[in-house]
Amino acid sequence: MLQIKNLKKTYGKYPALDGLSMEVKKRALYGFVGPNGAGKTTTIKILMGLLKADSGQILIDGMDAQKNQREVKGKIGYVPDVFGVYDNLKVREYMEFFASCYGMEGLMARKRCSLLLEQVGLEERTDFYVDGLSRGMKQRLCLARALIHDPELLILDEPASGLDPRTRLEFRELLSELNDQGKTIFISSHVLSELNQMCSDIGIIDQGRMIVSGNIREITERVDQSNPLIIRVYQNMEKAMAILRSHSCVRTISIKDNCLSVGFAGDNQDEALLLQQMIDAEVLVNGFFRQQGNLESLFIQITDHEEKEELLYEGKPGL
Amino acid sequence: MKGNPVYRREMTVSSRSIRLPVMVMVFNSILALVALLNMYSVASQSRVTAEIQYSSFLRLYVFVALIEFLMLIFIMPALTAGSISGERERQTLNLMLSTQMTPVEIVLGKLISSMINMALLVISSFPVISLVFIYGGIQLKDLGLLLLLYLSVALLSSSLGLCFSAVCKRSTVATALSYGFLSFLLIGTYAINFFVWSIAQMGAARYVNQVGGIASQVNSGGFFYLLLLNPALTFYQVIGNQVGDQEVSSMVIQHFGNRQANPVLNGWIPFSICLQILLAILFLVIAVRTIDPACGKKIRRQL
Repeated sequence: MLQIKNLKKTYGKYPALDGLSMEVKKRALYGFVGPNGAGKTTTIKILMGLLKADSGQILIDGMDAQKNQREVKGKIGYVPDVFGVYDNLKVREYMEFFASCYGMEGLMARKRCSLLLEQVGLEERTDFYVDGLSRGMKQRLCLARALIHDPELLILDEPASGLDPRTRLEFRELLSELNDQGKTIFISSHVLSELNQMCSDIGIIDQGRMIVSGNIREITERVDQSNPLIIRVYQNMEKAMAILRSHSCVRTISIKDNCLSVGFAGDNQDEALLLQQMIDAEVLVNGFFRQQGNLESLFIQITDHEEKEELLYEGKPGL
Repeated sequence: MKGNPVYRREMTVSSRSIRLPVMVMVFNSILALVALLNMYSVASQSRVTAEIQYSSFLRLYVFVALIEFLMLIFIMPALTAGSISGERERQTLNLMLSTQMTPVEIVLGKLISSMINMALLVISSFPVISLVFIYGGIQLKDLGLLLLLYLSVALLSSSLGLCFSAVCKRSTVATALSYGFLSFLLIGTYAINFFVWSIAQMGAARYVNQVGGIASQVNSGGFFYLLLLNPALTFYQVIGNQVGDQEVSSMVIQHFGNRQANPVLNGWIPFSICLQILLAILFLVIAVRTIDPACGKKIRRQL
């Protein structure tokens, strides 16, 4: 659906995007993550035609976005990080205004507006003034507005910022529903726990370059492999330590009370064999598990630049 | 233009605002009050002296025309200077640009909606202007020329406001710069000529002392044609011609020194109206190019 190839953009001497390349598959719910200043908003603005890239190519549904801006804008719906509402304009009029921005007029536009307002749960607020709506309602209205021309790709820039947990949950459900209906969703967010639950794919950008990109489940599994093995020993700690020291997959060991944290480079089978070995040596083990990885730990690892160099360039297992 | 989304939205919003009805009421109240006072003074005078001074009705026409001219030139930039920068402040400009609407449509929508508001004010003043027709002295074609002048003035002052609104990030800066540039057109062009002419006169005075020439032969040179951009001078010419003030038409030629008659001086009114419309178009082009993401950022970042 969306392909970005070697995208570059500099502000003065500062490179905001430094050869960004990525791909978003059709019907994916893609989480676009990165620290502040990584280049997320710049990427989105270039995608929307609000900024001009220095070089690189953007293909949307196989079409060059920079050469066919009008056609491409018809395929993208955009929800920015701000609501962008007008005073003295009612919800229905606001929707009809944006419908007319896409050349939709009359009965067709009115029907489409009613349908979308119903979908986002604002059908009873059509005669309310937009600036009088709550934050959550405004966000839903912005989503409805972005869907007015039935786009194939929906781009959201920090959509959940400033929303309460319940509204965020509702909004997330709404996005999942849209994704189920066949829309490709590209969402930039800082709320990683939410992306973890919602997204099918993820891309982590840092300093204008894509660091990690792919299926979210595969990535978190890879993160798990780099996490330590936690072994809680009830009795025979000395034997346990001797086994671990002699094991070829063990990289580091640290101990706190009866809990061992082991840097273990093996796979699931190696883990099972290690446990078997300890039990056979009469070590009483009452806890044995791999510390669970999540997007947040991955994000911290990747965006901590010293650690990143160690992980990326020394080729340690895990990433 | 009815299909322009920006124009339709602006019309919806302004029809809900109390600003326009208040402006129409205040403006027409002033005009009506002056007209009634004028007629009252004519009637009172005729009771005492038994003569009716028809020229006082022409003075009423001049007054109404002047008020409308001032209103157009000073209110239009205020209406338009915040229009695009206001969208930027509300962060709705990017939303509009991310749709299939083009920068040209956005700028034209803003321009036409402000022009329509002004047209409403001008049309609402027709009943007061029509008082002049009761006693004659002004023909319909005169009124037509005046309206054409109003159109060019409104176009110039609103385009000026739109241009600075697109270039500046803040509405306050845009408004200040719009009035600054307007002052340059109204006063600056005059001041430049005055300055150049004074310098030339001083030089000529020395020359006269030496050889005994004619000092009045000096003029402000090419700077004089800057006055073609001055809407106030065009208005002065139009009104002067209409009320039969013979001095006015020759005054332009003699302003800042004597000149040989040429096509520009002879056709000052059409030339100046055309030039002011061209200047307005230039402002609109700058506004469009500034908000167009493909080419506009560099201009805006400098201000």
